[in-house]
Amino acid sequence: MSILAYNGGAMVAMKGENCVSIAADRRFGIQAQTLATNFEKIFEMGPHLYVGLPGLATDTQTVMEKLRFRKNLYELKENRPMAPKVFSAMLSHMLYEKRFGPFFVEPVVAGLEPKTYEPFICNMDLIGCINQPKDFVVGGTASAQLYGMCEALWEPNLGPDELFETTSQALINAFDRDAISGWGATVYIIEKDKITIKNLKTRMD
Amino acid sequence: MSLALRPSFPDYESVSKHNNFNPYSDNGGSVVAIAGDDFVVVGADTRLSAGFSIYTREQSKLFPLSANTVLGCSGCWCDTLTLTRILKSRMQMYQQEHNKTMSTTACAQMLSIILYYKRFFPYYISNMLVGLDDEGKGCVYSYDPVGHCERRTFRASGSAGALLQPLLDNQIGKKNMLNAKEEPVSKEAALSILKDVFISAAERDIYTGDSILINIITKDGTTEETFQLRRD
Amino acid sequence: MFLTRSEYDRGVNTFSPEGRLFQVEYAIEAIKLGSTAIGICTSQGVVLAVEKRITSSLMEPTTIEKIVEVDKHIGCAVSGLIADSRTMIDKARIECQNHWFVYNEKMTVESCAQAVSNLAIQFGDSDDDGAAMSRPFGVAILFAGIDEKGPQLYHMDPSGTFVQFDAKAIGSGSEGAQQSLQEVYHKSMTLEEATTSALTILKQVMEEKLNSSNVEVMTMTPNKLFHMFTKEQVEEVIGRLSVEHPVSLNVGGSQKV
Repeated sequence: MSILAYNGGAMVAMKGENCVSIAADRRFGIQAQTLATNFEKIFEMGPHLYVGLPGLATDTQTVMEKLRFRKNLYELKENRPMAPKVFSAMLSHMLYEKRFGPFFVEPVVAGLEPKTYEPFICNMDLIGCINQPKDFVVGGTASAQLYGMCEALWEPNLGPDELFETTSQALINAFDRDAISGWGATVYIIEKDKITIKNLKTRMD
Repeated sequence: MSLALRPSFPDYESVSKHNNFNPYSDNGGSVVAIAGDDFVVVGADTRLSAGFSIYTREQSKLFPLSANTVLGCSGCWCDTLTLTRILKSRMQMYQQEHNKTMSTTACAQMLSIILYYKRFFPYYISNMLVGLDDEGKGCVYSYDPVGHCERRTFRASGSAGALLQPLLDNQIGKKNMLNAKEEPVSKEAALSILKDVFISAAERDIYTGDSILINIITKDGTTEETFQLRRD
Repeated sequence: MFLTRSEYDRGVNTFSPEGRLFQVEYAIEAIKLGSTAIGICTSQGVVLAVEKRITSSLMEPTTIEKIVEVDKHIGCAVSGLIADSRTMIDKARIECQNHWFVYNEKMTVESCAQAVSNLAIQFGDSDDDGAAMSRPFGVAILFAGIDEKGPQLYHMDPSGTFVQFDAKAIGSGSEGAQQSLQEVYHKSMTLEEATTSALTILKQVMEEKLNSSNVEVMTMTPNKLFHMFTKEQVEEVIGRLSVEHPVSLNVGGSQKV
């Protein structure tokens, strides 16, 4: 089995009308054995910038620390917040540097562009190939299930509340059909002047 | 010199290389079935493919076995051809031996056993057997390649099975909805959900597309319907 | 005898010039040496009753088994060479279980009779399936069962011919018993009536005096399926006999005993 599926996890991000969402499950396990149900895979990287790192848990945390280091250094040098687009380019380069000994994560970036507050989402593979669609991105072991859910549920111009409902339903129903993700979920709704974080109760089996 | 870097001289190879023959191929395809109180609908896409090539855009993957039983197959197409021929002859033999048509439930059990009899060289097929049971209720039986059999009210299988099953859980099973109870779907609702989920599958699964063939089974018999999907 | 049968009765698969298979006909004759068995099919269920010949007071009557369960919904009464019947009952049981295993449904009584009939005619030359049986079975069987068509009674003879009956008698007393059944039987018979009638007729054709240890009685009903009567239940039926069932039986002179 792939090392990307060693710990399990599901991740999704969606665009809405002047808002974006990013959501993930909360499981941490080793293959079939669940060890924790409060494991965070989504990290705040700025006031309107979040990154989700599904994949091998050790790399999730290592990549997150490296990103925080590089982003802080950028902000000190440039004296301005890092835009999601810039952040994604940086992450992509960082992953490609390790082309032949990669970090086993499939990152998902979600945020709003500074100044314009334009919604931004993207994901990439473990060596940093960026994909930037207009609707939604998925990652993790439940990605096939998530594609099916999102493709049916997503529609353009969702408001923050509708976006929350759509994202949550897509994620929960998808990971209920994946044995190694689930056990609770966290959903972030990112708006211009409000970030809403909700922890969802789901079935725990 | 490490093993991996040693140059290869075919004439001096110490172990013989042999090409392993692989008897199976994956010809894709998805099947979705939804059962109601007095009907069952089953749909299968009509694309037959292998790897990156499309063999045909109009291959039916639904096989009527009797007036109220239909089998949907996806996976290895040559195995499907063989299995369905065996089933057809078994249906006829049963009819002649016992002077009655095999019921859907009997057919479901027989299929399980036919599959298990090839436990160590299986038919590489995801089967879905649908029909009306002895009380006239719609039923859907889904199988793994070695004959595990499960009766349910809705099921997605084949290359887009993983994409579609959670969607059916949500839309028909009413999973993760507050204050919603699972109740029997109407024929019209089932048909529209069936078409919707195939549209989603055709977006993301390259082995599902072109069109779908739908069979609607009621006590009055089976009716057919087709529906176009994207062809790229 | 030699002139008419002229050696054509030796091989089991040789027709006589008149087109008869003597060995099969002899096998049918063999049944008439067997103990009597009676079956009556009513809309409520089927009853089977057989006589057990207790040839010695030292014999243990319960070890003679002439009514057997084939499946929960099919029972058989046999008459003739009991040893042969074991093979056929085995076949019937296997076929019923195999049908359940493959189709997850009860085998119909007719299909069960058909399966046993296929075995019954496998005498004669050996083929790929292995050595053949050297002679026909010397048994007649009554199949009593419940399936989707309701209660049913089938009779099969050593030639493998099977026919459905409303009421049928086999064995030594069969000729007289069959005639009596014809008089007694009517479509609206209750199962209780049928049970008493069966025992009344059995009593008439038996050499021994009928009692609770020299008969076996079984009923096949939609609710209880195969039900073998206990000694007490048989006694209860015997108690009813002379009083409420003064059927005029015409056990004629042609009867072989």
